[in-house]
Amino acid sequence: MKVKKLFGAIVTMLCLAATTYAQEKTITGTVTDQTGVPLPGVNIVVEGTSNGTQTDFDGNYAINASSGQTLLFTYIGQKAERRLIEATSTINLQMQEDAQALEEVIVTALGIKREKQALGYAVAEVGSEELEERAEGDIGRILTGKASGVNITQQSGLSGSGTNIVIRGFNSFSQSNQPLFIVDGVPFNADTNASGRQGSRQDFINGNNGSSRFLDLDPNSIESVNVLKGLAASTLYGSLGRNGVILITTKAGAGGAGTKKTEISVTSSFFFNEIASTPDYQNQYGNGFDQAFGWFFSNWGPSFDRGGVSGWGNSTSFDDAGTLPHPYSTASFSAAFPEFQGARYNWQPYDNFGNFFRTGTVTNTSINVAGASEDGKVSYNANYGYLKDIGFTPGNSLNRNNFGIGGRAQLSNKFTMSGALNYARTKFISPPVALSQGNGATGGGSSVFGDLFFTPRSVDVAGLPFQNPLDGSSVYYRQNNSIQHPLWTINNSGTQQETNRVFGNMGLQYDISDNLNLIYRLGIDNYSENNLNYQNRGGVNSNSNDIRVQSGIYETWNNTNTIWDHNIAINGDYDITEKVGTTFNLGFNGRREVFAQSGVSSDGQQVFGVLQHFNFLNQNEIQGSFQRNVIGLYGQIEFDYDNIFFLTLAGRNDWVSNLAKDNRALFYPSASLSFVPTTAFEDLKGDALGYLKFRAGYGTSAGFPDQNSDSYPVANRLSLDTQDFQDNTGTNIVSNSTGLTLGNPNLKPEQVSEIEIGLESRWWDNRISLDISLFQRTTTDLIVTQPLDPSSGFFRTNTNVGEIRGEGIELDLGLNLIRSESDGFNWNTNINFTANETEVTDLGNDTDLIVYSGFGNLGNAAIQGEPLGVIYGSRVARDGSGNLVVNAAGDYVQDSQDGIIGDPNPDFVTNMINSFSYKNFSLGFQMNYTHGGDIYSSTISTLLGRGLITETLDRENTFILPGVQQSDGRVNDVQINNSDYFFSNVLFGPSELQVYDASVIRLQEVSVAYSLPKKFLDKTPFGSLSFTVSGQNLWYDAINTPDGANFDPNVSGTGVGNGFGFDFLNGPSSKRYGLSVKATF
Amino acid sequence: MKIIERKMNKVYTYIKLVLCSAFLVAASCETNELDLTEDPNFLTPSQASPDFFLNSIQEDFARHLEGDATGDPQDNFQTGGNVNGDGLSILGQELTRLMPFGSRDYQGGYQDIDTDDEWDNAYRGILFDIRNMAPLAQEAGLTRHLGIAQFVEAYVIVSMVDFYGDIPYTEAARAPEILNPILDSGASVYDAALTLLDAAIVNFTNNTSANPSTDFFYNNDYSKWVKATNTLKLKIYLQRRLVDSGAATSFNAIVASGNYIQDTADDLDWTWTATSASQPDTRHPRYGLNYASAGAGDYISNWMANQMQVGDDPRIRYYYYRQVTEAPGQEAAPDEELLTCSLQTPPPHYVSGGFTFCALPNGYWGRDHGDDEGGPPDGLLKTAHGVYPTGGRFDDDSFEAIAQNANVNSFGAGGFGITPILDAFMVDFWIAEMAMASGNLAGAASALESAMNKQIAKVQSFAVNDTGGDLSFEPTTTDVTNFVNDVVANFNAAASDAKWDILGEQHFVGHYGNGIETYNFYRRTGFPTTLQPNREPSPGAFIRSMYYPNQAVTSNPNITQKADQTTQVFWDTNPAGSFPVAN
Repeated sequence: MKVKKLFGAIVTMLCLAATTYAQEKTITGTVTDQTGVPLPGVNIVVEGTSNGTQTDFDGNYAINASSGQTLLFTYIGQKAERRLIEATSTINLQMQEDAQALEEVIVTALGIKREKQALGYAVAEVGSEELEERAEGDIGRILTGKASGVNITQQSGLSGSGTNIVIRGFNSFSQSNQPLFIVDGVPFNADTNASGRQGSRQDFINGNNGSSRFLDLDPNSIESVNVLKGLAASTLYGSLGRNGVILITTKAGAGGAGTKKTEISVTSSFFFNEIASTPDYQNQYGNGFDQAFGWFFSNWGPSFDRGGVSGWGNSTSFDDAGTLPHPYSTASFSAAFPEFQGARYNWQPYDNFGNFFRTGTVTNTSINVAGASEDGKVSYNANYGYLKDIGFTPGNSLNRNNFGIGGRAQLSNKFTMSGALNYARTKFISPPVALSQGNGATGGGSSVFGDLFFTPRSVDVAGLPFQNPLDGSSVYYRQNNSIQHPLWTINNSGTQQETNRVFGNMGLQYDISDNLNLIYRLGIDNYSENNLNYQNRGGVNSNSNDIRVQSGIYETWNNTNTIWDHNIAINGDYDITEKVGTTFNLGFNGRREVFAQSGVSSDGQQVFGVLQHFNFLNQNEIQGSFQRNVIGLYGQIEFDYDNIFFLTLAGRNDWVSNLAKDNRALFYPSASLSFVPTTAFEDLKGDALGYLKFRAGYGTSAGFPDQNSDSYPVANRLSLDTQDFQDNTGTNIVSNSTGLTLGNPNLKPEQVSEIEIGLESRWWDNRISLDISLFQRTTTDLIVTQPLDPSSGFFRTNTNVGEIRGEGIELDLGLNLIRSESDGFNWNTNINFTANETEVTDLGNDTDLIVYSGFGNLGNAAIQGEPLGVIYGSRVARDGSGNLVVNAAGDYVQDSQDGIIGDPNPDFVTNMINSFSYKNFSLGFQMNYTHGGDIYSSTISTLLGRGLITETLDRENTFILPGVQQSDGRVNDVQINNSDYFFSNVLFGPSELQVYDASVIRLQEVSVAYSLPKKFLDKTPFGSLSFTVSGQNLWYDAINTPDGANFDPNVSGTGVGNGFGFDFLNGPSSKRYGLSVKATF
Repeated sequence: MKIIERKMNKVYTYIKLVLCSAFLVAASCETNELDLTEDPNFLTPSQASPDFFLNSIQEDFARHLEGDATGDPQDNFQTGGNVNGDGLSILGQELTRLMPFGSRDYQGGYQDIDTDDEWDNAYRGILFDIRNMAPLAQEAGLTRHLGIAQFVEAYVIVSMVDFYGDIPYTEAARAPEILNPILDSGASVYDAALTLLDAAIVNFTNNTSANPSTDFFYNNDYSKWVKATNTLKLKIYLQRRLVDSGAATSFNAIVASGNYIQDTADDLDWTWTATSASQPDTRHPRYGLNYASAGAGDYISNWMANQMQVGDDPRIRYYYYRQVTEAPGQEAAPDEELLTCSLQTPPPHYVSGGFTFCALPNGYWGRDHGDDEGGPPDGLLKTAHGVYPTGGRFDDDSFEAIAQNANVNSFGAGGFGITPILDAFMVDFWIAEMAMASGNLAGAASALESAMNKQIAKVQSFAVNDTGGDLSFEPTTTDVTNFVNDVVANFNAAASDAKWDILGEQHFVGHYGNGIETYNFYRRTGFPTTLQPNREPSPGAFIRSMYYPNQAVTSNPNITQKADQTTQVFWDTNPAGSFPVAN
């Protein structure tokens, strides 16, 4: 309606103008970008007048002007163009992208769009082309190495397992260090709910497979990802933004860019998914100990050759043909396996590990539809994504369906409505992966990998029946049946997480005037995660002899998480003088988080194989809930002086619901400054230096208690147990007991502050760009789950102590080494480099040590004066001069006091992303290198300690451990044999001996793409069509670990959280390769 | 057009109103609620019940002795270490050859972190609950609750002194006022325990408003509680006899009163009811850990099995269940797979001392003191816990694998067993020790005889719990009498130190299931000297007390770690260094 009025007015005006000023004429034309696509919304003014117009959505314009006047064409991101009006009345213009991208606009906190040059802090951007058509469905893993300062670790190579993201290092050890996810302007829960259910401490022990909930995002539906790394960037998000912010704009949410016609793009991919970390097994020796045969876990038995010192010919266990009694030929198996009675078993190596895994497949289809109304005021986007990722481990898969729809309507009466709604259904299935240290699973779970990795070479996993035909229980080669057959595990045990998730937002903007608007945005994120953890009866966990594992377990529970987010803001934009401009934002943010868990845990299966609660003897409740509200008032004001200086001041005050009234509020300010010398001093700008910007920022933030530490740190609790014990009639006796945690009403929020300086520069016509950021970050009043001496009456309390300090450098170097016009040869390289370290500078007076992740005797510790997260564990005893101490048997003596045994923090991380293009071909690859950092690896120590990999071929000689004798201090001269060396020391000696340097170099991604030339497509419905062959994690080398282990340190044994540097046989890593096709219509 | 426009304006006004009010409603109610500090997943302390507290205190008391780490959702799982279902009694048994000790050196045999859970259970699980129950019980006039709590507290603090030496007490369990309690001397804690016991006797005999809902020990028979309290006093006086010149007088006065546990029927034991295997697991902790389909994890002690076998001890079939008739390297051929040491030669100090090595005849398959080998696939072969006190299988020469679903008999008594705490036979051993110390050899002999008779009868009463067992293999009354008579005759015939050795051997065998008593006896007397030494020829000085737990040392600035394991507790005035001799 208004449009028509406006249109009418313009027509009338044009007519009037045409008749009144006969010497003027109407200039018309089309403006396109450098690729020939029409540009809508280009500003066109007649220089020196107030006469101006814009191009319409076909890039067409019409303006009245006289000959001799000049038309000025400006458009964001394009070079301004001037055209003198001469005789012709048609001026078509192809604008060129402004290579300096000075006015590049990026999305910052709360969706505020700002020119990049105005920012006083670092923002990393990753575009859709770096996210689409990838072999991984996990946005976190795809981001690996794409931005400096962002450290991403996967839990394991299982499809759908969790992913750890830490930006600029850890700034707390009790609060979450995972970044805030903002999708289309509203918070998005990215938590990881582990599939283990024994409380947060036990999660990683009994199975830590839970997906990180950003898995619910389809990377193909993402338009762009911006990473706000520093606090100055994220102040407006308040405490939630203290770990950095991953700002995601989905294609649905990006609706409104004003595409001219409806465009449909379809991406379809197919990848293979294979185990990447197969160890280099030796095939010379088999099952046994000390070159003697036995049905052990270990592989220190006789040689597969008959002769020689270690030959099987020396052993009475073998018959003349070199066969053994079949492991199922013993009396205890006579009823179950009559067929094996008297059978013989060949003494030979089997590819038991390789045969266990399969080649998985990943199919991925994504459809995106975008369009806009004729006038561009209504736009929409809809997308659908389907992912089926079948893991290389049997029993592991990931299935995901995504729908999203979004749009924006600019209404005629100063209102703009926008909204986006996404639905994701994700199903993750996995065999159980409980913690293992090389001899089956620990705790109350099972582990498919814990029972597989040590398998002796002479045992044919796939060839041995895994199930007792009489009662369904697990059977395996070991004589007391104390190992759960990994195939039994695959077939009788598993975990599932099925998630239904809806997230979206609705926004309403009202333009009070040209300079002032009011925006209200409501965000909702709701997921319901249905979990299942089961195992049929007849399993074995010989480490714990857990009765529940033997009797059968069936646990179902639902996690429902809801975030409501209200945001109302008033935004203004005024020019104070001709050169000084200002923008401001003032807002209110209310956020409510509700988490509820409920379900049933059963054990004691009655009829084998029936997995329903009714079929189990005992039931227990699973229930937990948590809610928290955070309210914030925020403001930000920005001044700019002539595009030379930019000053931004911001502040936010938060109130949180789970602290005592006096301590629940905190104000945190930030300030940042940007200065562009190349604009200030025109002379500076030359052939060499094209653009230079200095920036500095100071930001602060707060950490409020959350689920990661304690949702209710003020509360004093009394625990009630209705099943504590039973009297002799079997009646339950109820007990209550004081809680573990002393409530602390004086607990305050923790405070983080950060100073960041940086520079951005472009050289030689943008051939080289260099960005550097330096930051120093201090966390004070750390919210610490402080262990108390239990003799006080409590086990722990939450308190504010100490200080940790982190600093780092981030470097981004862009090289456009070869650049040619149109479709010639292009080569560009981006290198990023990150080094940071975090040190515990104070722990308060009462505490020497806080082990905050892992176990008390093997975990990440905070120790004053040490890097945060050093690995604390058992050590080899030292004598007064620091020599290692050896006992009379020739083995290392364990120190009675634990100590620091490693530092998992890497020295630096660097990534190189290369892309080449020539005509319609392009080739890209990404290399990552991590230098230093230790890892406690059960995978490596198991492979060595069990005598499985090539490093253990040297086993017929004796070993003498370097050190001194405990009794008399003489240099150790006691000889020990192979199994004592590898088994008793390398694998089961003090934890110090299982720590390795985790430096790794990796070929993260490779891709070759071909897009069909336009001329081939003219007569087809396709707008574009491209084919990409790509691979992920195709090669890596952990350079300082034993080669035969082929160990991939990209694993997080303690799950998603603050623990790092541990591998508890959590699973191999994967490599993926395949083909994808993208077409637009 | 204008009409439409007006209508639309109205619509927009309406939308504006709705949005604004919706926002206000949403923002002013739930989202703005800022008082959410109570944890809905727990009760609040004001909802506590004295009965429920006392139930928890009693159960934690049992787990103070053994079984603290199994199935407890709050346990602090550790890798490695000696923490699997232990408790002070298990530690004591490992140190006195009642169970094997798996380290070749004493200094690192237990780490500071190994006893974090025992310490936590004693203070937080027991003492702090008592502190929180007491005001509720006092207010309600529940004196019996208070009496039982005082008894438990006295036992716990005394045993903590026995294992750690000086411990926090006067400032303990007083959070939040005191978070870093200082150490009190062991002697002062002992005095405090006696005071508590006097108060307990008052509370067992005065008027009460109500009995506890559950008395696991005596089913609310308070004359028995008085006997138990006096018995605990006897134990205290005995333990400090080396440092308390009045100990013997105080001890004898109670014995003279007769008001203590004299009859096995009055024994204070924790009964593991074995009514449920999970949710909750009420089986004996050692049973739960060993009677599993993959078989036993624990080894039996070669020293003790040999002692019993050589001496024709009638209890051997109750204590141990043999799964096979012969162990490798004994009647059977050596087997490197199943028993590495069956192919090895004994270390010289075993040979010279004449100690058994590796395994024993007749299928008794256990481990030597200090053997730190890994675990071969022997769970269904090695000797398992028997029917006493663990509730396992009575050894009726059936020689079958334990805990196999196909064989209902293989589960024995299903974990229906006890943790012996204060028993009539124990008192008789104490009387014997006191008599020996005062030179009353005849008194010692008769007390020893009484102790053995009571204990053997107690053990024999457990055979019926294994309903599938063939009880014809039980020893006859004559067998028992002959055995006891032999021991007493040997005792009477022996010279002084040899008398101590015999008393010590019988003390150890009789206390199977309670390592607190044996560890104390060993450090008080240094006997028996006949124990199998550590496999390591130079294992270092014996463990005279435990390290302070890691969590206490790192969290509490008022506790500093001991230099090593040789620190002696206050009542241990025996020589440092090579005492006791049999290490």
